Amino acid sequence: MLSYQQLTHLHPVSSRSKGSLRWSCSRKRGLDGSLRRCDGQEKADQSQRCAENRSSSFTTPEGDGPMSRCADWASEVEQEEMRMGVRQDVQRYRRRILTADFNERERKTSSGSSECRDSPIPADMETDEAVLMRRQKQINYGKNTLAYDRYIKEVPKHLRQPGVHPRTPNKFKKYSRRSWDQQIRLWKVKLHAWDPPVQEGNDLQAIDEMDLDDVMEIELEACDSAESEENTQCSKNTKDTASIPADSCTGTPSKVMKTEANFDLS
Amino acid sequence: MENSSKEDYRIQSFDIETQKLLKTALKEPSAVDLEKVSNVIVDQSLKDQVFSKESGRICYTIVQAEAKQSNGNVFRRNLLNRMQKEFKAREETRSRSIQEWVCYVTFMCNIFDYLKVNNMPMMALVHPVFDCLLRLAQPDALQNEEEVDCLVLQLHRIGDQLEKMNEQRMDELFFMLRDGFLLQQNLSSMARLLLLEILEFRAGGWRLSETAHKYYYSEVAD
Repeated sequence: MLSYQQLTHLHPVSSRSKGSLRWSCSRKRGLDGSLRRCDGQEKADQSQRCAENRSSSFTTPEGDGPMSRCADWASEVEQEEMRMGVRQDVQRYRRRILTADFNERERKTSSGSSECRDSPIPADMETDEAVLMRRQKQINYGKNTLAYDRYIKEVPKHLRQPGVHPRTPNKFKKYSRRSWDQQIRLWKVKLHAWDPPVQEGNDLQAIDEMDLDDVMEIELEACDSAESEENTQCSKNTKDTASIPADSCTGTPSKVMKTEANFDLS
Repeated sequence: MENSSKEDYRIQSFDIETQKLLKTALKEPSAVDLEKVSNVIVDQSLKDQVFSKESGRICYTIVQAEAKQSNGNVFRRNLLNRMQKEFKAREETRSRSIQEWVCYVTFMCNIFDYLKVNNMPMMALVHPVFDCLLRLAQPDALQNEEEVDCLVLQLHRIGDQLEKMNEQRMDELFFMLRDGFLLQQNLSSMARLLLLEILEFRAGGWRLSETAHKYYYSEVAD
C-alpha cells in the first residue's frame, strides 16, 4: 500500500492543505485562528477555505500569533507594521525601565539612603500584544492631528510641565480598560487647546456645544479612575472641550485635516 | 542628474507627462494623486517585461517618501489593493495572455523583494506569491518556456527569503518541480535544464556550487 507521502508525490496538487500531517498536528490553531482537532476532518475544511478567499484571516506556522481578520493585503500590512512597532517599543521600554531601576539602586547605594523608592518593575508592565496594539491605535489617532503637530512644535519635551501640558498616556502601564479610555479622552481634549484657529470665539463656542451630561460624566469617571495625572486636572479640561470625538478602532488614521491645511497654505 | 534618475527607475518607457508625474511622486508624494500613480505603475508593469522586473524600486522610494513627508501610506495601500485585485483575476489573465500573467508574477515578486516593512518582507504577500509560483509549476505551465523561465527567475531572486517565511510551501513547490522534471513528457530540453538548475540551486542552499555553475554557465563570461 502506498504511504501518504508517496501518494502526494505521484499526484502533485497545489492545494495548500496537503501538508505534512506531523507538522500540522503540532499547530494549535488552524488557518482562521480557531483551535484545531488533529484529524482528517480539518483537512477537508481547510481545502474548502483555501478555495475561497485565502487572504482573509490566518495563522501561519511561522507567524506571530492570530491576526485579526483583515480582508485585504493593505490592512494586513498596516497591522503587521504596527505590531512590529509595538514590539520594538516594548523592548525599548523594558531597557529604559531596567536602566532607570539600575541607576536608582546605584544612587541609593552610594548615598547610603535607606529610603525605599517605588521603582517600576518590568514585571508590572502591560505586555498583552492585543491590548498594546489597541492602545497604540488610539494614541495614533490623537497624534495624527494638526493640534498635536502644533503642540510638539510649540512645546519641546524638556519644557513640558506636568498638569499644564498634555502627556501621552503610557501604554505599558497596567490600567483597566475604562481607565485607559478615559485617559485617552482627556488627553485628546487637552490637545484641542492647540487646534489651529478657525474663527474667533472658538473656545466660547465649544462650551455652548458641550452637553452638561458630558461634563458630569467626565468629572465622575475621573474621580474613579486610578493613577492618571490628567485626572486631577479634569475640571480644567472640560472647559477646553469641543465635542469629544468618538474613537473608532478600525482602519488607519489619516491626516485629513493636515491635507486640507496644505491646500490652504500652498 | 535627471538622466540618472530615469535610468535608476527605468521610467524611459513612459510618456513625458507620466514621467513628470512619477518624478514628482518620488519627491513630493502628497502633491500628486497617488492612486493614479499606483495604477500607472501597475498597468505598465503588466505590459512591459523589463519594467516589471524593476518597478519594485520606484514603488519602494515612493512609499518611503510618503511616509517621511506626511506619515501616510496611501500609495502603498492603493498599490496593494490593485495587486490583490489582479491576483484574484490571475487565472483569467493567464488564459488571456501568458505574457501579462508572467509580468504580473514578476512584478509581484519584485514588490515582495523591495517593499519591506521594518526590513522584513510583507507577510501578507507570502501565500499569494507561493500561489503564483505553484501555478507556474503545474503541468500546463511547465510546457511554456516563458512560464518556466519566470518561475526560476523568481526563485533565484527571492527563493531564500520565501523559504524563510514558509518552508513547508517551498517544499511543496519543489515536490512539484521534481515531479515535473521526472514525469512530464512534453517538456522542452531548455525547460528541463532550467528545472534541473533550480533544483540544484536550492539544494545548495540557494547558491550554485562552483562546478554546477561551470556546468550551467560555462558558455557565459570567464
